[in-house]
Amino acid sequence: MLQCLLPVCNASLLDWTFESLALAGVQEVFVVCRSHAEQIKTVIKGSKWSKPGSGMKIVPIVTAKETFSPGDAMRDIYTRGLVTKDFILVMGDLVSNIRLDEVVRVHKERRKQNKDAIMTIVVKECGVGHRTRPTGDSAVWFLDSKTSECLHYQPVTLYPPTRIVKLPRELQENHPEIDMRFDFIDCGIDICSVEVPSLFQDNFDYLDLRRDFVHGVLTSDLLMKNIYCYVAKEGYAARVKDTKSYDSVSKDILSRWTFPMVPDNNHPGGHSYEHLRGNKYFAKNHPVILARYLSLICCYICPITNKMPKKKSTCNVGTNTLIGSSTQILDGAEVHSSVIGQNCVIGPGAVIRESYIFDNTCIGSDCVIEQSIIGFDVTVKDNSHISKGCLIADLVTIGPNAKLEPFDRLSVRREAGVTGESDNKEEEEDSDIEEIEARQGSIKRNMGSDSNALIWPDGPLNEEEEEDEGPENFKNLRSLRIGDDVSDLDIFDDDSITSESENESSSEEDSELDTDQVSLTGGSESSVGDAAESEFQSEVKQSLERAFAEGHSLDNAAVELKTLRMASNVSLTRVREAVISAIVERIQLVEGGGLPQRQEITKVINRWGELIDRIGGIDPVETITLLQVHCATSERMPIFGQILAALYQIDVVDEDDIRTWHKLPESRAEDEKPGTTRENMKKCWIIVSHMIQQFNAQESESEEDDDTGGEEDEEEDE
Amino acid sequence: MSPDPPSIPSLRSVEVLASRLRRRQVVGSRDTALETLLVLRQVITRAKFSNIDQLVGIIRAVGRRLVEAQPKEHSIGNIVRKVLHHIREEYYAATGTTASLAHPSGEFSIAKFLSQGQPRKHVLVQKSSEIRGTLREDDPDDPDSFAKGLKPVLMEALQDVLDELETVYDNIAKNAKDHVHSDEIILTLGHSKTVEAFLKSAAHYRNFTAIVPETAPSYSGRDMAKSLSSSGISTFLVPDSSIYALMSRVNKVILGAHAVLANGGMFAITGSLMAATAARAHSTPVVVCTGQFKLTPLWNLYHEYGALDFGNPNDVLGFQEADLVDKVDVVNPYYDYVRPELIDAFITNDGDHPPSSIYRLLKETYDDEDNEL
Repeated sequence: MLQCLLPVCNASLLDWTFESLALAGVQEVFVVCRSHAEQIKTVIKGSKWSKPGSGMKIVPIVTAKETFSPGDAMRDIYTRGLVTKDFILVMGDLVSNIRLDEVVRVHKERRKQNKDAIMTIVVKECGVGHRTRPTGDSAVWFLDSKTSECLHYQPVTLYPPTRIVKLPRELQENHPEIDMRFDFIDCGIDICSVEVPSLFQDNFDYLDLRRDFVHGVLTSDLLMKNIYCYVAKEGYAARVKDTKSYDSVSKDILSRWTFPMVPDNNHPGGHSYEHLRGNKYFAKNHPVILARYLSLICCYICPITNKMPKKKSTCNVGTNTLIGSSTQILDGAEVHSSVIGQNCVIGPGAVIRESYIFDNTCIGSDCVIEQSIIGFDVTVKDNSHISKGCLIADLVTIGPNAKLEPFDRLSVRREAGVTGESDNKEEEEDSDIEEIEARQGSIKRNMGSDSNALIWPDGPLNEEEEEDEGPENFKNLRSLRIGDDVSDLDIFDDDSITSESENESSSEEDSELDTDQVSLTGGSESSVGDAAESEFQSEVKQSLERAFAEGHSLDNAAVELKTLRMASNVSLTRVREAVISAIVERIQLVEGGGLPQRQEITKVINRWGELIDRIGGIDPVETITLLQVHCATSERMPIFGQILAALYQIDVVDEDDIRTWHKLPESRAEDEKPGTTRENMKKCWIIVSHMIQQFNAQESESEEDDDTGGEEDEEEDE
Repeated sequence: MSPDPPSIPSLRSVEVLASRLRRRQVVGSRDTALETLLVLRQVITRAKFSNIDQLVGIIRAVGRRLVEAQPKEHSIGNIVRKVLHHIREEYYAATGTTASLAHPSGEFSIAKFLSQGQPRKHVLVQKSSEIRGTLREDDPDDPDSFAKGLKPVLMEALQDVLDELETVYDNIAKNAKDHVHSDEIILTLGHSKTVEAFLKSAAHYRNFTAIVPETAPSYSGRDMAKSLSSSGISTFLVPDSSIYALMSRVNKVILGAHAVLANGGMFAITGSLMAATAARAHSTPVVVCTGQFKLTPLWNLYHEYGALDFGNPNDVLGFQEADLVDKVDVVNPYYDYVRPELIDAFITNDGDHPPSSIYRLLKETYDDEDNEL
């Protein structure tokens, strides 16, 4: 069964999505479909949407077979040149009543001011434990409190449990206030600018819209694009991604959160329902037959006996229930919080709780069905018991007296002789089915004598997939199943949390320290390095020489450096080191020093000094360290102090940085091997000590001066 | 009766309105009434018919389509019925079937009640034999001649209905000074345009005080209070919970209606039932201001506790209340059903009426055969 054609409250999911869009004021829709494209096309053609006056134009587009992810689809959209303006991107499983025109207006206004605001993501506030919020596939969002710019996105999975969320340090510098939100429902509605498909084209490894694209764009310092969030206060939006969200979205529809898209008003399937007290919906046109239902709608007295009842007589329809047309609910049957399709028969004494039963299904007498989804044309014979979380595919027959364990999945057993006819594309599925058939012996279930069902094993198909990382992990997927509260997973075990998180965090620190040390020492031992390293060195050197010679602008030089850094995957420190050494070497040594030398230094530093801060991160203390290390090994040792002073002049480093550096143990070079390098480094340190003395002297002067403002004092206090 | 299918362009505008109604992009009884009337005018302008039955059939089909799209906005059906009534009237006038069709008037007299209270069945039976006036129906030579002859008068009749809708607030407000007296304390609810116009008009002549409860969950009372105070009426905005406590000081409760039903009851904004019941407890008169187009030949059969239209629980319980959403069923009715016993008078653009005579107004305004579209 196609996901987008799955009936939700007796209308296909695709109809809900179209209706949501129509409600939001959308006029033209492109439907990108891959598998079963023909089927979707026919459905769209036959639906009310292709009639005149529907107010919406729907164009189905079939993409290539190689399209496996939203990313591929976006690349396909780009190559076809389908969109020429900003567009709204949704998945074919959306149910929403949010007014999108407001979101689009905000997006457009922002685009006018900032060309790089390429995307606005609609998120809906809800509590962490909300039924509609997927626990296994959520995320932590970092938003700027004022502009609601999305600064960082961290996907969170339930299993393996995500315990650490990292926030890049640079963000804290540029944004004084950051909201960290874990209570959003990702509605899957994105207002995208035309650049988005082309970004997908450029980054051919992006698959998922959130985990790859959003995360990639935000963490990249090459793209310089911004993504914003729109936190919807009003309205409802959610995606039906799995059986759990199927359950919760159906419940939300029945309890009218999606108003005005509710069964008794604007039902996307065009059915009409009558809404009764307690959110009960009964079909109007071909009335539901309820056995001696207490309300006045319809009275059904058993035609055979035509007598007053024996014991349990009235059928009982509980709250939050939807019952399709021509469905019969017989004597003593109970239906609670469920959706029942058209032309179904619920036998006498059957009990149905929180379940979804599609059209033309027959439930025998005294059956019990809990938290399950039962497909089209299914027959469940008498006295069967279907426990929570079961999925039963179309056309299955089970019973009588069948007993299913929780989370069983049933489909129709294939008939012998069909095997040979299947064509290539189904081969893979076939192999799965064969495997399952082979395993049938190992699963013991009482399926009843008339059953044609094939039972799918619980758990992952192949054992080696068990340890799959990321959201596709089986234990994580479990949290997305209907009726599964995942209480037996050990994620909330206290011991494991403390021990594991400690381990993880400490190892995290270790690795960070490691990288720092490696890069710091790397400066003095730059001869050690593999081919890529030396290639990077020479590339950077050449690129900077070119920049110096041809007088590039700082921006262009910076972009070039960033690209190089990405291409050879080296740390920021290495780039900074290369830039500093190149700049220092750029300074001509003037014989005799004095004023001409100082002018030369000022000239070079004024022109190129800021490049140090433009390479993708600012770390003045490291800059000084690198400068010291470089000067110590270079013949430009004598002018170290003057270069530092020049950098101080153009604010690449400031006083506090110099002080901080001065206090570092590395700056005194005590760990170094004795030799000229160490001597030189020591000399540098002494030079800086003089400088700091000067600073102190200046400050004490200014302190005596009463005119100094409060700011400086504060700085000093810190 | 097999009407010609309405031509495509008019059908399109009907479909557009139907989907807008379904999506609640047109709300409020007066707006829906106006939109319906405009669509009907388009339909009639373009319709091809050669006798009255065809025309009535077309309009009924359109009306049915619109009413099905939004059964909760009763003014759609009312306007369709009203237009049908006018069409027949014009038709009888044009064909010389004078019958016993007196113009509906606001005055109440037993004599008229007797003549108009009867079903008009005999008139319709006579019609087919009697009609032969200036207009020729089903003329084989020129099938359009009937339409051509009738359309100008129909347009005029539609224009009358349109004018009535457009001036409805003024006409209701005209008599405001007779109902509001100096130094009275008036309680109203929600943001009814009719009541707003009524009170503002009364403020020209009288000096009175208005009390406006906030009217949760829409809180439209806040807008109402702002609007009233900006036009110089001394206004108090009070929480809904204090309606009963304040009722002893209130001289009159003036409410707006969403629809007035055949038995004299009405659908009105949530909270109206509470206010009306409180008023009854203190024997405070309850007066309802309503346009005549809100008179609906229907009864309230179910939903005794609230009425008709149930909105989004979001207004009552925030979506972010994660723990509660799963455990609590929220009922958020838009309208209350107020029983006729709780209402003292209806002030309409067609005079003032007690609830008990609403059925008579209905007889005058609509034809019986149209009660079911």
